[in-house]
Amino acid sequence: MASAVLLLLIFRLVWLQLVEGDKLRAEAQEIRMRDVPVEAKRGIIFDCKGNELTSSVSVDSAYAFPPQIKDEDRRQTADKIAYALDMDKEDVYKKLTQNVGFVWLKRRLDRESAQNLKELKLDGVALVEENKRFYRQESLAAHVLGFAGDDNQGLTGLESVYDHELKGKPGRIVIEQDALGDDIPKAMHKYIPPVPGNNLVLTIDQNIQFFVERELDHIVEKHQPKLAVIIVMNPKTGEILAMGNRPTFAPGDWRQYPQSIWDRNPSVWYTYEPGSTFKIITAAAALEEGAVRTSDTFYDPGSIKVADRNIRCWYDGGHGSQTFEEVCQNSCNPGFVTVGLRLGKDKFYKYISAFGFTRKTGICLSGEEIGLQIPQNEVTDLNIATMSIGQSIAVTPIQLVTAAAAVANGGVLLKPILVKAITDPDGKEIKEFKPEEVRQVISENTAKTLMSLLTGVVQKGSGKNAFVDGYGAAGKTGTAQVVERGGYVSGKYVASFMGYAPADDPQIAALVMVAEPTGSEYFGSQVAAPAFKAVAQDTLRYLQVPERPQVEKPKLPFVYEQPKLKVTVPNLEHFPAEEAKNILLNTGFVVQSRGDGTIVGSQVPKGGVQVTDGTTVILELRLLEPGEDNEPTVPDLRGLTIKEAGGILEKLGLHIKPLGTGFAFAQQSLPGSRVAKGTTITVEFKEERERSGQ
Amino acid sequence: MLEQNILFKKLDRTLLIAITIIILLGLVIIYSATKPSGLLPVAEALSTGDDPFAYVKKQMFFVLFGIGMMIMMLYIQYEDLLKHVKFLYVLNLIILGAVLIVGDSTLGAQRWIAIGPNQIFRFQPSEFSKLLIIICFAAYLNSRSNMLNRLRDLLPCFVYIGVPALLILMQPDLGTALVFLAIMFGMLFIAGARPWLLSGIIAGGIGTASLWIWAHFWLAANRGFELWIPIKDYQLKRLVIFLDPWQEPFDAGYNVIQSQIAIGQGGFWGRGLFNGSQTYGDFLPFQKNDFIFSVVGEELGFIGAFLLLVLFFVVIYRGILIAINARDRFGSLLATGIVSMLVVHVLINVGMNIGIMPVTGIPLPMFSYGGSSMITNLTALGLLLNINMRRKKILF
Repeated sequence: MASAVLLLLIFRLVWLQLVEGDKLRAEAQEIRMRDVPVEAKRGIIFDCKGNELTSSVSVDSAYAFPPQIKDEDRRQTADKIAYALDMDKEDVYKKLTQNVGFVWLKRRLDRESAQNLKELKLDGVALVEENKRFYRQESLAAHVLGFAGDDNQGLTGLESVYDHELKGKPGRIVIEQDALGDDIPKAMHKYIPPVPGNNLVLTIDQNIQFFVERELDHIVEKHQPKLAVIIVMNPKTGEILAMGNRPTFAPGDWRQYPQSIWDRNPSVWYTYEPGSTFKIITAAAALEEGAVRTSDTFYDPGSIKVADRNIRCWYDGGHGSQTFEEVCQNSCNPGFVTVGLRLGKDKFYKYISAFGFTRKTGICLSGEEIGLQIPQNEVTDLNIATMSIGQSIAVTPIQLVTAAAAVANGGVLLKPILVKAITDPDGKEIKEFKPEEVRQVISENTAKTLMSLLTGVVQKGSGKNAFVDGYGAAGKTGTAQVVERGGYVSGKYVASFMGYAPADDPQIAALVMVAEPTGSEYFGSQVAAPAFKAVAQDTLRYLQVPERPQVEKPKLPFVYEQPKLKVTVPNLEHFPAEEAKNILLNTGFVVQSRGDGTIVGSQVPKGGVQVTDGTTVILELRLLEPGEDNEPTVPDLRGLTIKEAGGILEKLGLHIKPLGTGFAFAQQSLPGSRVAKGTTITVEFKEERERSGQ
Repeated sequence: MLEQNILFKKLDRTLLIAITIIILLGLVIIYSATKPSGLLPVAEALSTGDDPFAYVKKQMFFVLFGIGMMIMMLYIQYEDLLKHVKFLYVLNLIILGAVLIVGDSTLGAQRWIAIGPNQIFRFQPSEFSKLLIIICFAAYLNSRSNMLNRLRDLLPCFVYIGVPALLILMQPDLGTALVFLAIMFGMLFIAGARPWLLSGIIAGGIGTASLWIWAHFWLAANRGFELWIPIKDYQLKRLVIFLDPWQEPFDAGYNVIQSQIAIGQGGFWGRGLFNGSQTYGDFLPFQKNDFIFSVVGEELGFIGAFLLLVLFFVVIYRGILIAINARDRFGSLLATGIVSMLVVHVLINVGMNIGIMPVTGIPLPMFSYGGSSMITNLTALGLLLNINMRRKKILF
């Protein structure tokens, strides 16, 4: 008998505690209507100078304890409340007559309503302090700050990452009113005050951030890019002084913006091929390993052949004979390819990893990407060659600026930090974030040498537009083509500038990255370098860095030569009209078509002609010739991918037999010949596509 | 005295150890349940600066008093009680009657009698009454062996128990009245009444009561007719609400839900001593007395609750052995009554905490906060030990 009782009780305990435990826990949350949470005041986010970037302002919310209001008073009380809070009388009355211990009357009242209600001094009606997040500088540093939702929960940016510090501990209004459940004779309401959240002190400087935002606005106005990022870092501490992105949003009004704008921070998320800015890393590795000395001479005939492939210099005709110093100033591709190949893959990869490109930087922002590298065991010489000039490798802006800043810090890589300290609500420091050394990547001497080479780039080379008056600058421009679906897209570029100022003792390291600028300018030297100059100029003056009278301004500004990017017009005769148009558009031509018909009859300019990118190609369309629907004309398939060639032949009623992979270079039936419908045409493909970079 | 010393060597040490652990654990849990919760007053000032050990200190006083009673019980010859049965039975009726006349009321029920200067001593006669009725009924059955075969033979027994039970029901204290019935059936069973007959009566009683309650609700809901029922409405609601506490989650079902949530939150290892959120947030009413088991479940988890149940099982098991091995029929019946009382208390109290028994104000023996209950139980256990000391042969 006693055993049966024991077993019965234990079974039920097992059920409650081990089986149903989680469900009961969830129910516990639900039933807490008698346990009304009171929001804690969210912590303030300060910039490094103690300016409030975002804070919470107190607002009053009104609530009632219906059981405390006498039945005969309800109507009158409801009327008074409705009047004070500008609500509907009936609604208020309904709330007061609900069979609950607690009811919100209206939340986040304006000051006047709260005052009105306070003066009424109604029994069973009270006010409690709640919060509203206020972003003082609207969209300043929007992606860094992020925002908090209505329920005091950080959703993006630092508001989300440090939510546990900022949110504090909510208080509660506990109501005991149950006649059965309580031996306290009178209903008792207890108030557990909320614990306010801690504050964040950022490394961001509101003023520098403002300079950054201003320049980003200029960039957007002038170039309408897809994305733009400027990051300013103190190279000696790893502190991020400013971080701005475009497009941006206003955290206080985030619902008005599409999610793709606020849910990711391009500074840490956007992955792109850095192009020539990456030459800083190539040079650092090569100098450190002794693969090159500044005085070594190189000869650039305009291109360099690596594994059956020609890598062109951005400068048609080549730079001729030059020292490594000049190779840097000219951003000469063949020069850097030579250096990269001399370095070799093992050493190159060692530095790629040492500079932190294979890992997240660990900055305290969520959504950080890691970049992309070809696995070391699969890498070819051709890959090494292109990686030397910043292609075939993808990085994030924060990775690049962090790595490049190491050069300005005597070769020591630091972890980027965004939060300087956490303070309690009284302002007392709870936690301090000190500069964190990751490793010595290159020696101090190498770093010094490289800085002087990069100073030369601004003083004499492609970086002249970044020269900061009175301070000088060092840095490297970059213009890379955008990769989409496995191929480079002509007409889409990432223009960037990675710079340091002042040149002799860098106080800031900054990256300006502009993805897919539209309009005629797309070189890093045109689009990004001027923005760097503007930010650096204002920042150094604001930081009261003494000017260097001895610094000489470069005499001539960097003159842009008309881009000599030559492209070959494809031969589109006999192509179906739609496919022909798509091919042209995808390769950066402008298309015009004339006449009726489904087949391209002729084109201007003719196929095989070398023109500059963006040229208009006119297609003359024609109707099918008699008998052509059964015996189509074979078009010139050279330069097409297997998929494209196959699609076109299929459209014409023919079949394809591809040999090899890559791009078509030979076909069995000659262009212009007529074959019977259903014929299979053998097309040979090989890997070849030419690229160029500045 | 020499004889007494020899007897003391026969004390049931296992039983004593189990009791000691239960009482000590109870003191710890009472502290956890009554320590200041950190709640601050919002409108009315809650009396702050209370001694966090106030309830523990009081409970310790009750324990000491109870131990005194227990030791006293060891020194009497339990057979001597037979001589005073009439007096005890009348005394029982008097205190139960007194409570109806001069009693203090809490929550609509008169259960307390306050005496002394400023009425500082408040006690619950219904607690002491349980032990008195066990003694009296054991004596009553002792003289009626082999006279319990027919329903007719049992009727006087029902009247004997029924009179005090009715007085308790008038307080109203349904729980204790039910405990009386359980004790009675337990003792009748050991005294030799036919098991089938007893089962039939119990089943019939439960059936009738269920039907009555069901009819009461059904008629009220569908015909607007109030069928008379001998208990108060709130008791009735509490009696049936455990079947579906979510019907009235803020009223009658509140305790049932909150205690199950508390226990459920405990999981296997518990949330840690003094860490119960249900307890801390004062969500659980009566957490120091009727619902103290929930505090154990929440803070010490399944493992703690299980061990506590095992301790009670040890006490009950030892009690059963004592009943079997008692020197005479009276001792056996007395032990049976005491064991029945303990079993029923544990079953009803733990059962209502875990939602399988109706909510009736039944404390957990030796564990819940409360003087009358603690003193009664320790006195009863003293009697149990006494019966064991004077058993016919050494156990095992």
